[in-house]
Amino acid sequence: MKYAEFPHLGRRPYTEFAQAGVLEPEPDELAPEAVAPWVYARRSVPRERVEWWYHLPTRLWFRVRRDTASDTVLGVEAARGDER
Amino acid sequence: MSVRLLKYAFIEDHAEQPWFGTAGPLRDSYDVVIIGAGGHGLACAYYLAHDHGITNVAVLDRSYLGGGNTGRNTTIIRSNYLTPEGVAFYDASLALFRDLSLELDTNIFYSERGHYTLAHNESTLRTARWRAEVNKHFGIDSEVVDADAVGRAIPGIDLACGGNHAVEGALYHAPGAVARHDAVAWGYARQAVLRGVEIHQHTAVTAITTRGGRVSGVETNRGPVSAGCVLSAVAGETPRVLDMVGLTSPIEIFPLQACVTEPVKPWLDTIVVSGSLHLYVSQSARGEMVMGAALDPLEVHQRRSTFEFVSGLADQILDLFPAMATLKVNRQWAGMADMTPDFAPVMGTTPVDGFYLDAGWGTWGFKATPISGKTMAATIAAGRDHALVAPFNLRRFDDFRLVGEKGAAAIGH
Repeated sequence: MKYAEFPHLGRRPYTEFAQAGVLEPEPDELAPEAVAPWVYARRSVPRERVEWWYHLPTRLWFRVRRDTASDTVLGVEAARGDER
Repeated sequence: MSVRLLKYAFIEDHAEQPWFGTAGPLRDSYDVVIIGAGGHGLACAYYLAHDHGITNVAVLDRSYLGGGNTGRNTTIIRSNYLTPEGVAFYDASLALFRDLSLELDTNIFYSERGHYTLAHNESTLRTARWRAEVNKHFGIDSEVVDADAVGRAIPGIDLACGGNHAVEGALYHAPGAVARHDAVAWGYARQAVLRGVEIHQHTAVTAITTRGGRVSGVETNRGPVSAGCVLSAVAGETPRVLDMVGLTSPIEIFPLQACVTEPVKPWLDTIVVSGSLHLYVSQSARGEMVMGAALDPLEVHQRRSTFEFVSGLADQILDLFPAMATLKVNRQWAGMADMTPDFAPVMGTTPVDGFYLDAGWGTWGFKATPISGKTMAATIAAGRDHALVAPFNLRRFDDFRLVGEKGAAAIGH
C-alpha cells in the first residue's frame, strides 16, 4: 500500500482517493481550431505533474505533485476553492 | 509417441535449435524501420515481406523480442464488439488467427473455448443484448443466454455470486479463444527473418529524424539508420515516440495487471469475464488459472505489480468460484496500456510523412495482432490507410469523430 502526507489528514493511503487527472486551467479564450487539441491532446510521458486528488471519506480536494515514473508524491497542497 | 520425441531420449544435447540467428551489424539504411519487436511490429514485418515483397526491413527493440505487452497479456481472442468498425476489424483478425499455426508453421496453441461475459444486473444484460444484435447483424456468432445456461456451461460457478450480485445471464460468444502469446511473436519473427527481415534486439531508438516534414531515419544507441518509413508499434510508450516527431495524441498510459495460479487439472474450459466484478479468468494449456482485473487507477510509467491488485482480484473471484480459495498465485505482473478516450486503437498514417502509428491498443491489442500487422503492412506499402484502418486514424480526434467502442475491453470502463 502506498501512502503520502496530506494537509488536514496526515498520512493516508492512495486508495482512499479518487484521482481526477492532471491540473489544466481552462483558457479564457479558445480559438475554434484549438478546441480539439485542448480536449484531447495529452502528454503521457514519465514526468512530474500536478494532479487533482479527491479524498473520498472527507470530500476534500488536493493538488498533488507526483512523479509518474516512480509513482512518488512530491508535494501536496489543499485546494483553496478558487482554482479553475 | 512421435519419432522426434523418441529421438530426444537418446541424444545427449537436448538444446532446441534456435528459431532464428542473431542479426548481424545494424546497417546504415533500410526501406522500413519498425520500432518495437512485439506481436504487432513483427506481424507487420512478416506481412510486409510476405504480402508486399518489402524485405529491406529492420525491427528494432529496446529490450528483448515479445517482452512487452505481447508477453504480458492474457491471450483472449474474440470479435463480439459493439461498433461496426470494431466488429469488422476484429472478425478479420479472428479469421487470420484460425489459420495462423499453419501459415507460420508454428503451433500457437489456438484453442476455441467459448467466451462468457457475465451480466449481474439488468443494465449489463441490456448492453449484452445490444452487443449480441450488432454482432448477429455482422454475422458474428454471439447470443445472450440465461443464468441456467451459464450454470450448465461453467463448472464450479456460484450463480448467487456470494449472495451479493447474482448472475442473471451472459453474452455468449462461441468463437472466443485463447492462444500461446509468445508463440505468435516467435512465429512471426521466424517467418519474417526467413524472408530477409532483420530483428535487432537491445537496440533503442533515441530520436526520429525528419527532413522537410518527412521521416528520414532514426537515431539509435548503435548509431543512426536512415529509412523512408518508420512505424511505431510500442504499446505503453507511444507518447515518448510521438514526442520524438512532435505529435500529440490523447493516449494515456495506465498499468494493467494480471496473474496466474499454480497449475491444476483442466476444469474450466470456457473464458469467463465479469465487467461488474472487474475480472476475467481462463485456464491455460498448462493448467494455470490466468486472471486479470481492471486498469490501475493512476498513470504510472513502470511495470510494477501490486499487492492491492492480487488481493482485490482474489476477493472478487472467490465470490464467483469459491473452490479457487485453495489455489496459490504463482506469478503476477504488469504491462503498460495505451488508453484512448474511445477505447479504439490509433492506426495508420500521421501528419508526418513516412511516420506510421500502430498504437492505442489499450487492453485489447493481442487479439488484433494478425490483422493490425496485415493492414499496417498494406498501409505502409501503399502510403495510405487501408480501409479497415481508416476509421482509427489519429485525425479522428481533430474532427471529433471518435469510434465509441465500448466493447473494446471486456472490463475497465
